Amino acid sequence: MADAEGVKHRQGDSPIEVRFRGGGFAPRSRRWVGVAVFVVLIALIQWGTETGWISALTLPKPTDVLATFGQLWESGLLFKHLQPSLTRLVIGAALGASTGIAIGVLIGLFSYVRAGLVPLVAAIFPIPKIALLPLFVIWFGIDEGSKYALIAFGTFTPTVVATYGAVDNVDRSLIRMGQSFGLSWSSIVRKIVLPGAMPGILSGLRISLAIAIILLVAAEMLGAEYGIGAYILEAGSLYDLERLFAGVVILSLLGVLVSAIIGLIERRLLGWRI
Amino acid sequence: MDIRLDAISHHYGATEVLRNISLDIPAGEIVCLVGPSGCGKSTLLRFIGGLERPESGRVLQLGTPPEGSLNPLTFVFQDFALLPWRTVKGNISLVLEDHGIRGARAKAIIDDVLNRTRLADFADALPKQLSGGMKQRVAIARALAVNPAVMLMDEPLSALDAQTRELLLDDLVSLWTRQPFTAVYVTHNLAEAVRLGHTIVVLSRRPGRIREIVSIETPIDQRRAGDPVCQQKHDLLWELMREEARAADEELIDG
Amino acid sequence: MRLNRRQTLGLMGAAAASTLAAPAIAQNKKIVVGALRFTSHSGSFIAVERGYFAEAGLDVELKFFQAAQPMAVAIASGDVDYAVTAVSGGLISLADKGAIKVIGGALSEEKGIDGQKILASDAAFKGGLTAPANLGGKTFGMSTAGSSFHYMGSKVAQAEGVEMSFKPLQKVGAIIGALKSGQIDAWSIVPHIAKPLAGSGAVHIIGDISDYLPGYQVTTVFTSAKNAADEREQTQDFLAGFGKGVSDYNSTMIDKADGDDGVNEMVDLIHKYVYTDRPREKAAPSIINGTMRINEGSKLNIASIRDQLEWFQSEDLVGKDITMDTLVDGSYVETYEG
Repeated sequence: MADAEGVKHRQGDSPIEVRFRGGGFAPRSRRWVGVAVFVVLIALIQWGTETGWISALTLPKPTDVLATFGQLWESGLLFKHLQPSLTRLVIGAALGASTGIAIGVLIGLFSYVRAGLVPLVAAIFPIPKIALLPLFVIWFGIDEGSKYALIAFGTFTPTVVATYGAVDNVDRSLIRMGQSFGLSWSSIVRKIVLPGAMPGILSGLRISLAIAIILLVAAEMLGAEYGIGAYILEAGSLYDLERLFAGVVILSLLGVLVSAIIGLIERRLLGWRI
Repeated sequence: MDIRLDAISHHYGATEVLRNISLDIPAGEIVCLVGPSGCGKSTLLRFIGGLERPESGRVLQLGTPPEGSLNPLTFVFQDFALLPWRTVKGNISLVLEDHGIRGARAKAIIDDVLNRTRLADFADALPKQLSGGMKQRVAIARALAVNPAVMLMDEPLSALDAQTRELLLDDLVSLWTRQPFTAVYVTHNLAEAVRLGHTIVVLSRRPGRIREIVSIETPIDQRRAGDPVCQQKHDLLWELMREEARAADEELIDG
Repeated sequence: MRLNRRQTLGLMGAAAASTLAAPAIAQNKKIVVGALRFTSHSGSFIAVERGYFAEAGLDVELKFFQAAQPMAVAIASGDVDYAVTAVSGGLISLADKGAIKVIGGALSEEKGIDGQKILASDAAFKGGLTAPANLGGKTFGMSTAGSSFHYMGSKVAQAEGVEMSFKPLQKVGAIIGALKSGQIDAWSIVPHIAKPLAGSGAVHIIGDISDYLPGYQVTTVFTSAKNAADEREQTQDFLAGFGKGVSDYNSTMIDKADGDDGVNEMVDLIHKYVYTDRPREKAAPSIINGTMRINEGSKLNIASIRDQLEWFQSEDLVGKDITMDTLVDGSYVETYEG
């Protein structure tokens, strides 16, 4: 060390403050960044479409999409489309998720059920459910039946897989504790297995319900006059980008809403988690 | 009610874990099972509690469990095994519900055991809010709630730090002194065994056999750290175990 | 670059041939023509096979699509230069965005010539749907809202003064399935699909579209707005080549100018593109049954196009401010009010 400080400390080097190297790798809540990304992106598209830098064929003007949305609202068409879609979503997802949880728990509890059904579930999981839509139309009719079935089927498989995984992951020592206190089989399932599997089931539901929203559009491909999916498909075939984007925005909002509802349920049911 | 172990032997696959164990556990006494790791002492406890079945030999109950014992053979686990989604109160009521005990009757039992374990102020806390020592006290309270004939304690203090362990030992001593209970207490910690055990059963390393049975006459509530009798028993036990423990430590774990 | 003798001779031969074939406009310009594997697209196939496009100085690459909708989008994106398809809401919408223009006509309904049929499912037929007048309260199949099926069904219902509901089913295959199984009550489709269906007894023909939409301009020739405005010569060349193909098709297949031999030869040619998954003897009847007259000289029934535009606007499927000039460039072919 050639500087004056260094010369004074005859033992050698001057004291150097330890360099901080522990930063990063700790995700923190920065909510406004997400909002800013949206705002900048939309502003950029608005500017681009107005100056003609982005052609009318490529993207619609965000303000036009908003205006389309406004018309949807004012004309009452929004609810005419939302109501059947939400009904399909709720009934289909409820059917699929509840049977999925039931079957998943059975797989988790009984070796024979597991041996029999896990390969079957693995076989039907990767089938694009959309491909089965024509079949469902014949089985369940062209009206609401086939739509419920498609959404139910699509939510069923991921729910089953998440549920039996969650049941498998329930702390065995808790079950052993239940047995050691002479709890009945049904008490152990109701009071230990199910609550213990709840976190896994709920995070599985997050995925299943997102899939349900994706399948909503597919379900409304066949024979739906009203519905957000039908609206988007119609806008696509008419190459009406404003309506297309308005519909897509509604789906996104639906996704955010579903995710928020599950978050709420998680906070209520899973407050015990560390 | 006494417990008798009659010539118990057991294998896990090709590994022989226990060989010809016969033992009497008299009512009202604490029997400590000590031995090097892997000697099968926890397995033996699970046989006693009926959570596993030995290959040969039998576990016998002699006499009938006391009136009002809901679960004669009751475990206290090393990892506490509390349901994290139930409060302290809820965890205790869990083991009463199946016996149809609810409402005022349940509340009376819960209040009683919480008082005995000095947890009355924490009835509504969730396990995540409790320290390790308190969690184990909840587990003990839960065990007391079913009025067991025999408490089966599987290294109940091993997951705790040294100070907490010391405090809980005191708690166990005072619990027993106020109302003596029968217990089989599995531990690898000789100090705990010397502090609590009327009888200390030393198991050899795998396959576990009974190596020695040591009795301590000093009443439990009069044992202190540094007490010459206790220290002598401790040293004796350590002599018995030292070589076994070393050999067990150097064994390869297969499978 | 080194050439051996054979290659050199080959090149010289090719140069000579092209000089002989198209002395005036030997540009050999590369263009892409979109097509569906339907007999109604035979004009393009013949023009390629018989070298009519080459004569017009165009090097045509045919690009095949599964449906009309993506083809229209491909024209808008510039991947395809010319194509033939039905007027639909999507097509008008793309025209409105300044992407495409209708420049000619292809298939149209004519009195006296077998045209599109109105079909009823067996169940609906037995329930009394024996004539289009009974369509009230029935369900009518269509691919999507704003498709030509939607237009036809709506026009028939309007003429009969009844209300129907329309079921979007995306694909023709799905509509046929739904009709056969009685999930929908009625549909309309070109005769070569309608007749075999009716022949099987699963559906019944209950009327003709031409009774309701005489002179209906079913399909049109269209291109990108840029081609229509800036590539006049190329567009005229395309229409010339395409027109020769259409002429050959009409004279051989409908007027039988070259007798059965001519028909057979034409079937061989078309079979290279259509029903390629079937052997020739099975494909031939379908190809022959599917014969429909395609407009000579690509002339365009402007009145029908106007009616379609107005209908789409009245249904709020496309913008109300779209004019005929936005949709059609009538400067290339003969237009008429039919």
